[in-house]
Amino acid sequence: MNTIPTDAVTSGPVRSGPDHPAVSGPATEPGTEPGTAAGKAAETAAGSAAGTEQAGYLDEKLAQVRAMDFLQYRSPDLPTWCPGCGYFGIMDAFYKACRELNLAHENICAVSGIGCSGRTPIFINSYGFHTLHGRSIPVATGLKLAREDLTVFAMAGDGDALGIGGGHLPHAARKNIDITFILFDNSIYGLTKGQSSSTTPYEMKTNSHPVGNPDTPLNPVKLALAYGASFVARGYAGDPEGMKQLIKAGTLHRGFSFIQILTPCVTFDKTNRTWKALKEKVCSLNLHAPAPDNMENAMRAAENEPYGTGIFYQDKDRPSYQDILRRMQNV
Amino acid sequence: MKTSDKEINIVFEICGSAGEGTISAGEILSRFMSAQGFEIMSFDAYPAEIRGFGKCVAHTRVSSNPIYSPGKLADVLIALNDNHAISQLSALKKGGILLYDSQPAKPHEEDQSVVARADAATISYGVPLTMLAQKAAGNARGRNMVALGAVTALFHLDRDAFTNSIKDRYGKKKQIVIDSNVNSFLEGFDWTKENIDKADGISFQGVTPPQTKAEQKGEKLIINGNQLVAKAALDADLKFYAGYPITPATKIMEILSKELPKHGGTLLQTEDEISAIGAVIGAGYGGIRAMTGTSGPGFALMTEFTGLSVMAEVPAVIIDSQRGGPSTGIPTKTEQSDFNAAMFGGTGDCPRVVLAPTDTTSCYDATVLALYLAEKYQTLVVILLDFFLSNSIRNIDVPQKPAPKMLNANIAPDAADLDGYQRYKITDSGISPRTIPGTPGGMFFATGLEHDAYGRPNYTDKGHLAMTAKRFRKHASVLAEAPAPVISGMDAGGADSGMGSGMGSSVGSSKGIPDKDGTPKTLDIGVISWGSSAGAAHEAVMTAAGEGVSAAAFSSMMLSPFPEKQLAAFAGRCRKILIPELNYGGQFADFVTKIIKRPVERLNFITGRPMAAEDIVEKIREMI
Repeated sequence: MNTIPTDAVTSGPVRSGPDHPAVSGPATEPGTEPGTAAGKAAETAAGSAAGTEQAGYLDEKLAQVRAMDFLQYRSPDLPTWCPGCGYFGIMDAFYKACRELNLAHENICAVSGIGCSGRTPIFINSYGFHTLHGRSIPVATGLKLAREDLTVFAMAGDGDALGIGGGHLPHAARKNIDITFILFDNSIYGLTKGQSSSTTPYEMKTNSHPVGNPDTPLNPVKLALAYGASFVARGYAGDPEGMKQLIKAGTLHRGFSFIQILTPCVTFDKTNRTWKALKEKVCSLNLHAPAPDNMENAMRAAENEPYGTGIFYQDKDRPSYQDILRRMQNV
Repeated sequence: MKTSDKEINIVFEICGSAGEGTISAGEILSRFMSAQGFEIMSFDAYPAEIRGFGKCVAHTRVSSNPIYSPGKLADVLIALNDNHAISQLSALKKGGILLYDSQPAKPHEEDQSVVARADAATISYGVPLTMLAQKAAGNARGRNMVALGAVTALFHLDRDAFTNSIKDRYGKKKQIVIDSNVNSFLEGFDWTKENIDKADGISFQGVTPPQTKAEQKGEKLIINGNQLVAKAALDADLKFYAGYPITPATKIMEILSKELPKHGGTLLQTEDEISAIGAVIGAGYGGIRAMTGTSGPGFALMTEFTGLSVMAEVPAVIIDSQRGGPSTGIPTKTEQSDFNAAMFGGTGDCPRVVLAPTDTTSCYDATVLALYLAEKYQTLVVILLDFFLSNSIRNIDVPQKPAPKMLNANIAPDAADLDGYQRYKITDSGISPRTIPGTPGGMFFATGLEHDAYGRPNYTDKGHLAMTAKRFRKHASVLAEAPAPVISGMDAGGADSGMGSGMGSSVGSSKGIPDKDGTPKTLDIGVISWGSSAGAAHEAVMTAAGEGVSAAAFSSMMLSPFPEKQLAAFAGRCRKILIPELNYGGQFADFVTKIIKRPVERLNFITGRPMAAEDIVEKIREMI
């Protein structure tokens, strides 16, 4: 996994522009796997459809992307997400953040749960652990406590982290475990094809609630603040630059960093969190500079600005769990 | 082993209400007897509630010979509370000794006093426990110490040595506490000397305990299974323990919370058992030795992660100290009913390692072995303890520390392996060389999905078969280096030869059930057992052999993979087979029957008490 085969980066177009967030990924059909016959066929079809007239465009774009010098953080394995998925944008930001922090590949470990976000570590050129549904936080916690030298990321979807695994978030946050937690929040269960999740809006029609979701959605940022996370931020999948800054800040933060990413599910949510809707609603938070450790401000913003992006709260002085242990045990 | 001319083998029971000092009195008695050089096995029965006047029983067997089971019936019952002691009379031997409070604070109705309810053959001694405690300390709290004073006087124990044991027990407390206890003890001693006419034959006078030889002094540990597991884990380089409080495993976490940081390790109290095993697997993935401990309800929660440990090939050790089940069950009673859950719990074809220590000393060996096997074979290892093993106290020799090879077991890839590194390489042993994070060039992706040799998701039929077969091949490799089963009993010639070790040489040698090859070629009765029942089985076949029955006992610390060949060979020598265990229908018996393909006799108890050798002997007599 050290060397990136050429086809890993040539197999998908890189699009960007006013109507498209910068995403990089393959043009495979939903549900097809790279390496399988169907996946291969899809890749080939995408390649030939592009035609020779696009070859010049692709070569040009590829040269630009390569010049940005972050692709080495991508693994040769092709993402299994649907075309247009917001997760490509998240990964783009993630790779760039790793590059700008100059993290050594072998010292990165990405821990994920189950769901569309669960596959994320496969696509990172680093150590990775795809665990159980809802359990990325406990595993990442054990790994970080075992190996403080590693940079540990935990990744989870909204169903993963707030539904089945909802019991773990409070404790990693209040303990201030020094990991960076990225919530891929598309407000739907995507991998099981469109059921309501813990962040699905009230009354939205889904495959599990055809006449409307009867449940009130959770507010992830408010939860993270209430649980005592020492770094709480929100990004938007269509804003790779903003996400990159948040991921960098979260990684550098010594303690539990919570980053919610608002992202569409282009396949199973055609009404609520679409690219179009997000693009209209998402705005920058600009509330509490220069005092990001103002909890009252943060809570108010969490309540009033459901689409505000940026850092809601950061307490830089709070010791991480391992710092606390060292202090208490005098070691 | 040198034994004195006069031998001692006595079971004491102290019975009282929670808060009356029952358990403390039992502990002091055990420590005193151990300090005197006797073998001890102690076990307390207490209610699950912290307060509420529940019944407590401190049970201590004292012997000048090796002890393998706690003894079913008491020789001496010390009643601190008549109401509870009445229900304990059924556990007193016919013709046994009852010591009771002759002047309780509230006089009993005639038929509510324990002495009135005792069997006519019982030798009863009334001692005014409450009155003497009042006299000694101004309150009744020292009744337990008065009773110990009476015991010391009655059975000719060393008064001054006993006084020292009491001082040791309360050494860290205020002087007034020490004085009250010692004075109460002495009041009981003096009063008994003066006022009781001894009518029984028990006396420690002239008994030379086997352990009083000077060189053995200071070499004994008075310890229970939980403490020994914690000690073994530290000796075996444990660096991470995650846990959630649950009886009877909590003590392991409490000990390690003190000790692990001193050894450069970390203890994590998690929000639930799911998180505990998750963190252990995370730490194991990180390349350090990690463990968690729980009981049935917590083990049930961990089940999904046990599959991940096996599938993603990440080391993990879980201790399940069994208690009455299912569900919350009976938290403070012992049972062996998690056999099926540990062996077969979870989904899919999931080969794991399961170890069950057979006595206190083997708790040490099993822990060392578990951490070694988990690391080397990159898999899940479950240690099945039970409430009895966790809490019963023995005085044992200090265990030998693990050999260096037991402490560094990961098979890492060499430089050639790292060229196009296949983390899940198909091998004959089933072990694929493993990198740990931080190793340049060794990066890989671990997943609970079925995967190819590189770790990438792969759902082909051929791939799934090859990987499943690889994971199962670890079983044969484990078995090849696992400790052999223990076969014990009387020699064909009728002699019980010296102590042996049931463990493989790699794990160190602790004194356990003597392993012998000298048992007769054909046996009337073979007793096959596991876990904490094995000691009683050994003792039972020795008793039966003394009665002329040709019998031997078979037990294996390794439950999965199981030494099936040795089992079949042993069964082939036996005319009849008996399987005693502490569950309702015989979970282990079902397992054995499938291997040996013949019917077995079962002996099952779910009384919450440990297996009694006496019950097995009785069953053997029936079967002959």
